[in-house]
Amino acid sequence: MKRAVETIGRDLGRIFEALSGLLFVSVLVPLIWGEYWTIPALLVSGTLPFAVGYILTSWFQGAAQPGKLHGMIIAAMGWFCVALFGSLPFLLISWTAEVAPTALGVPAQTPTLAAFTDPLNAIFESMSGFTGTGLTMTDNEEVLPRTLQWWRSFTEWVGGVGVIVLTTAVLARPGSGSLTLYESEARSERIHPSIVSTVQTIWWIFLLFTFVSILLLWAVGMPIWGAINHGMTGLSTGGFSITDNSIATYDSVAIDFALLPVMLLGSIAFPVHYLILQGDLRNFYTDLQTRWVFIYMGVGTIALSGMIYATGTYDTLFSAFRYGSFQFVSAATCAGFQTAVDSTNVALGRWPAQAQLTVVFGMIVGGAAGSTAGGIKLIRSLTLLKGIHFRISEVFYPNSAVRRLKINGRRLDEQEVRQEFEEAAIIGLLWFAFLAIGIFVLLLILPQGEYALENVIFEVASAQGNVGLSAGITGPKSLPTPGKIMFLFNMWIGRLEIIPVLVTLRTIFDRGGLYQ
Amino acid sequence: MRIGDLPYVGDPLEGGAEDQVFDSLLLLGPIIIVLIAVIGRSTLTTIVAVAYLSSFVGYVLYRGLHRDS
Repeated sequence: MKRAVETIGRDLGRIFEALSGLLFVSVLVPLIWGEYWTIPALLVSGTLPFAVGYILTSWFQGAAQPGKLHGMIIAAMGWFCVALFGSLPFLLISWTAEVAPTALGVPAQTPTLAAFTDPLNAIFESMSGFTGTGLTMTDNEEVLPRTLQWWRSFTEWVGGVGVIVLTTAVLARPGSGSLTLYESEARSERIHPSIVSTVQTIWWIFLLFTFVSILLLWAVGMPIWGAINHGMTGLSTGGFSITDNSIATYDSVAIDFALLPVMLLGSIAFPVHYLILQGDLRNFYTDLQTRWVFIYMGVGTIALSGMIYATGTYDTLFSAFRYGSFQFVSAATCAGFQTAVDSTNVALGRWPAQAQLTVVFGMIVGGAAGSTAGGIKLIRSLTLLKGIHFRISEVFYPNSAVRRLKINGRRLDEQEVRQEFEEAAIIGLLWFAFLAIGIFVLLLILPQGEYALENVIFEVASAQGNVGLSAGITGPKSLPTPGKIMFLFNMWIGRLEIIPVLVTLRTIFDRGGLYQ
Repeated sequence: MRIGDLPYVGDPLEGGAEDQVFDSLLLLGPIIIVLIAVIGRSTLTTIVAVAYLSSFVGYVLYRGLHRDS
């Protein structure tokens, strides 16, 4: 028990130290924009996790390397605590605006910023950011201080790759149990034999693609501050925006279409990006997940565009394609940018039920494993489909037949098929079970008759798939407190693919004597 | 100068595609963004941004075709 606490404490400490680095780096933003009044809040926000992290790493310096159980607990608790510490800038900056006199250069409080004086809203925003969800407690992002606009984008950018991946890249050294932690953060793909080298390469690719995304968005007409923020949140498939109506604010066909490749880049696995940068372009079609990213985005786009055109939601085929393609790719990559809003066209929440459910399908399946996207992941969905086909066709073969299942170039024997199918089925089942619980709770707490069932399914799938599209339910006032707490849980389990969170909860209840 | 020689960020950034063109693009990216932020939208900055994007796409295709041939 004591050894476990030491190991978990030491590695959590490292994560907190890495988080404090992000907060201290962010001080550059208020310095550049002249928002000096936010600097004390940022410094306090950075000092707290640094102090806690420093104490933990110092106390438990000689702790043993983490095992599988430790790794899962570190991942689950690390992400939860990062969301807690990451909420401090929201909380402290909003309280600074609330209580500090304007004589000190602090602008007047706005209702949007005031929402973060409630700690639950601040934690919600932080969890939504780090998990790359994008559901928000703000009602007008434009009026937020630039410092908070940046912090929201930065949390999504870092969270897209992973807090543990960041910690491993910056603070870990070879042989420090990095593999266990890496796998606990819903990642398993390796680019190099060494995990430290792998995460360094992931960051290298992510940085390069971020600059490309920012310059692409700027080149098609987005202002540079918007391009920086949307480039970061688009590539990390997070979906936070700095404008009131997400991407719809720009109402630009060029920006809509430029964001499609940015979001698609984020939904392709990093090892595939690495091979493509090495010149192996065949991976666009030889890699199972990448091939299916394009097939399923293409089919989904055609289906959704056809539905909203046929039902008269849009007058022209081009408009239907523009909004249909953007919203399906945004949902399936789990980015969550929105172009379908009431002010410019027809809001997603008022699309026909079949169109909303098509978007929900995209959110549930998600992108490739090993990418920044959420959802169940393509490889699991394909494993389930192929596994079901394998099982059913078994009846048609003689008992003596030796059969193998081919998935992504690997030929699996019966036992391997069973193992992979079981893992995919467990995650899939748990995913739908928590989706159902979320829908049930939301139906209980929302005002009767205000939202349709498809709106509720849409919102819960969006939270759990770490997507961030909204049918209009999520907001500081529109979502009741139990709903906010439930969505916090949905976002948390969605990002870590459920199992580490359940293992952690079981351990806590077990140790606390609540589960015997 | 190699990317790995940079202080603090050198180690994490070194593990890339091990290619000088991509390393250069990685180092040039923030410089161009700062240039755009300072100068704003002009013919010069637009040309620089488009050249950067063309170089990236062109070089990925070049490496792919070069490797296949």
